[in-house]
Amino acid sequence: MRFVSFRPASSVLAITALLLIAAAPSQAQTRAETLRYVTGASVNTLDPNIPGSTRESFALSMSTYDRLVAFGRKQLNGKWVFDLDKITGELAESYDVSPDGLKLTFRLRKDAKFQDGTPVTAEDVKWSLDRCVTAPILGKAQLLTGSLTSADQFKVIDPLTIEVTLPKPDKLALPNLATVYPMIINSKLAKEHATAEDPWATAWLKEHTAGSGAYVIETFKPGEQVIIKRNEDWNRGTPDKPAFFKRVIVQSVPEPATRANLVERGDADIVVDLQASDVQSLEAKGKLKVVSTPQYNSITFVSMNNQIPPFDNVNVRRAIAFALPYDDMFKAALFGRGAPLFGATWPDGKPLNGIYPFQAPVKTDLDKAREYLKAAGLPEGFSTTFSFNVGQASTAEPMAALVKESLAKIGIKVDIQKLPDAQMSTQINEKKLPFFTEGIVAWLPSTDYFYRNFYTGNQRWNYSSISNPELVAIAQEARFEPDKAKYEEDGRKLNAIHFSEMPQIPLWQPNQDAVMASSIEGYTYEFHRQVDYRDVSRK
Amino acid sequence: MTGLGATMVRAGRRLLSSLPALFGVLVFTFLLMRVLPGDPAVFFASGPNAGKEEIEQIRKQMGLDKSVPEQLVFYLSDIGHGNLGRSMMTGQPVLKDLRERLPASLELTFTALLIALIAAVPLGVVAALRPGSAIDHGVRLFCALGVCVPTFVSGLLLIYVFYYLLGLSPDPTGRIDVFTSLPPQRTGFLSIDFLLAGDIEGWWAACRQLILPAVSMALFVIAPLARITRASMLVSLGSDFVRTARSVGLSWHKVVVTYALRNAILPVITIAGIVFSTMLGANVLVEKVFSWPGVASYALDALLSSDYAPVQGFVLLMASIFVLVNLVVDICYGIADPRVSIG
Repeated sequence: MRFVSFRPASSVLAITALLLIAAAPSQAQTRAETLRYVTGASVNTLDPNIPGSTRESFALSMSTYDRLVAFGRKQLNGKWVFDLDKITGELAESYDVSPDGLKLTFRLRKDAKFQDGTPVTAEDVKWSLDRCVTAPILGKAQLLTGSLTSADQFKVIDPLTIEVTLPKPDKLALPNLATVYPMIINSKLAKEHATAEDPWATAWLKEHTAGSGAYVIETFKPGEQVIIKRNEDWNRGTPDKPAFFKRVIVQSVPEPATRANLVERGDADIVVDLQASDVQSLEAKGKLKVVSTPQYNSITFVSMNNQIPPFDNVNVRRAIAFALPYDDMFKAALFGRGAPLFGATWPDGKPLNGIYPFQAPVKTDLDKAREYLKAAGLPEGFSTTFSFNVGQASTAEPMAALVKESLAKIGIKVDIQKLPDAQMSTQINEKKLPFFTEGIVAWLPSTDYFYRNFYTGNQRWNYSSISNPELVAIAQEARFEPDKAKYEEDGRKLNAIHFSEMPQIPLWQPNQDAVMASSIEGYTYEFHRQVDYRDVSRK
Repeated sequence: MTGLGATMVRAGRRLLSSLPALFGVLVFTFLLMRVLPGDPAVFFASGPNAGKEEIEQIRKQMGLDKSVPEQLVFYLSDIGHGNLGRSMMTGQPVLKDLRERLPASLELTFTALLIALIAAVPLGVVAALRPGSAIDHGVRLFCALGVCVPTFVSGLLLIYVFYYLLGLSPDPTGRIDVFTSLPPQRTGFLSIDFLLAGDIEGWWAACRQLILPAVSMALFVIAPLARITRASMLVSLGSDFVRTARSVGLSWHKVVVTYALRNAILPVITIAGIVFSTMLGANVLVEKVFSWPGVASYALDALLSSDYAPVQGFVLLMASIFVLVNLVVDICYGIADPRVSIG
C-alpha cells in the first residue's frame, strides 16, 4: 500500500510550480469594454451536456457555441424576455417547416466559421445533433421532449443544408434546437480527441471548446472564474455584428452581501443572484438599474405527497391550500418580489384560461380550512414534517416558520426539517417527503409540457406523486394538438383538474432581479435564467 | 551536529508511526461519507430533464453502482496510485483542485497566524508583566471581543468599512484583482511569486487583497495565543530562576526575553500548532466572505452536494498537514528547550 506522500510544503509547492504552466499575461482591455459578471455559483464545465453542469455553465455555452436557431425576444410588462414563439436562425440562415410539420429543413449561413477558421458544414451539424441524442449526456433527455430521439432523423442534404424528420408534428422540436444542449460543435476538431471508449469526446469537450460562438475562452478556472474574449468574426447576433463587450469576466463570489457591495461600488457590472433584501435596498438608493422579471418559466410550490396519508385525502390537501398564510409568506420570503399564483377570483368557478401556471382562487381562510379537515375526518388535525433544502434557506426558512404557525391554528402540528441539498433531492426522488417546498423550471414553458413532466408518472419531477389518468390523457393529447382553440380548451381542463385535485399548491413565480450598472443596456431574461453576455452592451 | 541528526531520525520514525492513523482517517472518512444520507447522483442529475437514466449514469461514473467494500478497495488502490478521484462539482481531478487551492489557504493562514503571533505574544507579555493593571484588563477585553465576534461578522464589517465606506481596500474577490495579470507560478504563494518575478506593483496588489481576510482570521485566534502567553509568562516570571536572575542584577531585557519568555514559549508553540491546523480547515467562513479560492470552502461546497471525492481528499490532506504540523511543533520544542526530546 502506497500513500500519497505529503512532503514538506516547500517541495510540494515546487512540484506544483513545475506542473503548472505560467499564465501568459493577457492584453489589457479598457474597463468599459469589459463586462464583469459576479455570481454565487460557478462554471464547472465548458460542455453544458455534462451531468452536473451548473446554470453558469449553460450561460457560458450560449456565448461560446452557436445553435441552429435561437429564441427571439419580446417585451413583457416593459421588460425584455425570451420569446418561445419567435424562433430565428443562428447558424441557420433560414429554415422551413413542411406543411405536415414532419420535416424541418435548415440552410446554413455561408459565412459561418468555427473559432479555428474552418467553415461550419452540415456534417458538423449532423455530428453535433447525433451526439446530443446518442451520447450519454444531458441533451438526450431534453431533445426527447421534442420527439428527437435518433441519429436517423438528421440527414445531410448538401454541405449547407440539413433536414430533420419527425415521427409526429411536435411543436417543441424546433424550440428544443434553440436550447442549451444541441450546440453545434466543430466535428473535425472534436473527433481528433475522441477515443474508443469516448467516441463523442465528452472528456475533451468538458475542458475545451470547439464552437463557432461569439466568445472564445481565455482562461477557465473551475470554481473561480472564466474569462472570455470576443470572437471578432462572429456575426450571428441580431444586428449582424460581433458582440459588444471585448472581454467578459465571469467570477464566483459566494457571499451575496459582497456581490451587492461589488455592484453598488461599480466594480461589478451585473449580477442576477442577490438576496431580495439587498435588491430592495439597492433599488431604493436608485443609483443602479434593477430589472425585475417574474421568472415566467419557473414556479415555487408547497408540495404534498398524494400517496402518503393523510395527504392522500383530497380534503386534507384543500385544507392546507386554504390555511397557508400566502401574503405573509410572499412578503417574508420574497419581499413581494415576484408574481403571486394565489388570490385569484374565478367568477364562474372555472379557470380563466388554459395557460399553466395559473393564478388559483385560493387565499388564507382558516374556517374553510377547518371545514375541509372535518370533511377529511381529521377535525383534530395531525402531525407532519415540512422540509426544505439548505440551498433555498434564505427564502424557505421564513416561509416554513409561517407555515408552521398558520397550520397550528387548525390543529396541524408541523416539524420543520432543513435538509442538505443532496439529501433533499434523494428523498424527493424516493418519494419519502410528505410535505415540502420546492421549485421547478421549464425551459420550454408550454401547458402540456408542464403537465406531462411535473404531474405524470412515478418519477422525480412529479413532486406530488399524483396519478390521475384523465390528466395524463389530456396532456398527451394536447402535445400534438395542432388546433390552437382545442389546445386552449385542453389547458382549461387540465387547470380545472389541478384546482379540484389540489395535488400541490403553486405559490408564486419569483422575480429574477438583475441588478446592473446604469450604463448596461439590453439585458434580456433568458430561458436558462442567466445573463446571455451577447445581449448586453454599455452605452 | 549529532543532535540534529538524531532529531531527524526520530522525526522520521515519528512520521512513519503516524501512517496507521492516516490510514484510519482514510477508511473512516470513506465510510462516513457513504453513511451520510443523500445520494450525490440524484443531486447532480438535477438538469431540467434528468431522469432515472441520468442518475444511473452518474452513479456508474462515480463508481456508486458497486458495493461499499468493492468501492473501498477501488478507492484505496486509486489512492495508492496517487489518484484522489474526480470532483463532480468542478469537473476536475481532486488532486489538481487541492494543489491549486492549498497554496491560497496556506498563504492566508500563514499570514493570519503571523499577524496573530506578532500581536498576541507582546500583548500576553505586557499583560503578564502588570497583572491586574488597566493594561491587563484592556488586553483581556480585546481578546474577549476577538473571540466573541465570529470571523464572518468581523470579515463583513472590515469589508464594509475598508472597502465599501472608505474605499481603501480592493474588492474582496479572491487573491488578486481580476484585471491584474498573474506572475509565473513558482511557489503558488502569490506574494512570493510576485517578488520572484520582480513585480512590486503586483506584490502590493496581492498583499492588499490578503490583508483584510488575514486580519479577520487573526482577530479570532489572538485570544487563545495571548491568554496562553500571559498564563505561562506569569508562571515563568514567578519562578526561582527569574527571581535569581533579577537578584543578580541582569538587565530587564535579559530577564524577560531570554529567561522568562524562552521558558514560557513552549505552550505557545503547542497552541500555535493546533491553531494553525484548525485555521486551515476552519477558515471556511473567511474564505466564503472574501471569495478566497481555498481548500476549506471547496470542501464545504463538496460536503453540501455530497461530492465524495473532494471531501475525502480534503480530510486526508488535513490529516496529513496535522501530522506534519505536530512534527514541526515537536522539533520547535527541541530548539526552544533542549531538555525536550521527541520520541
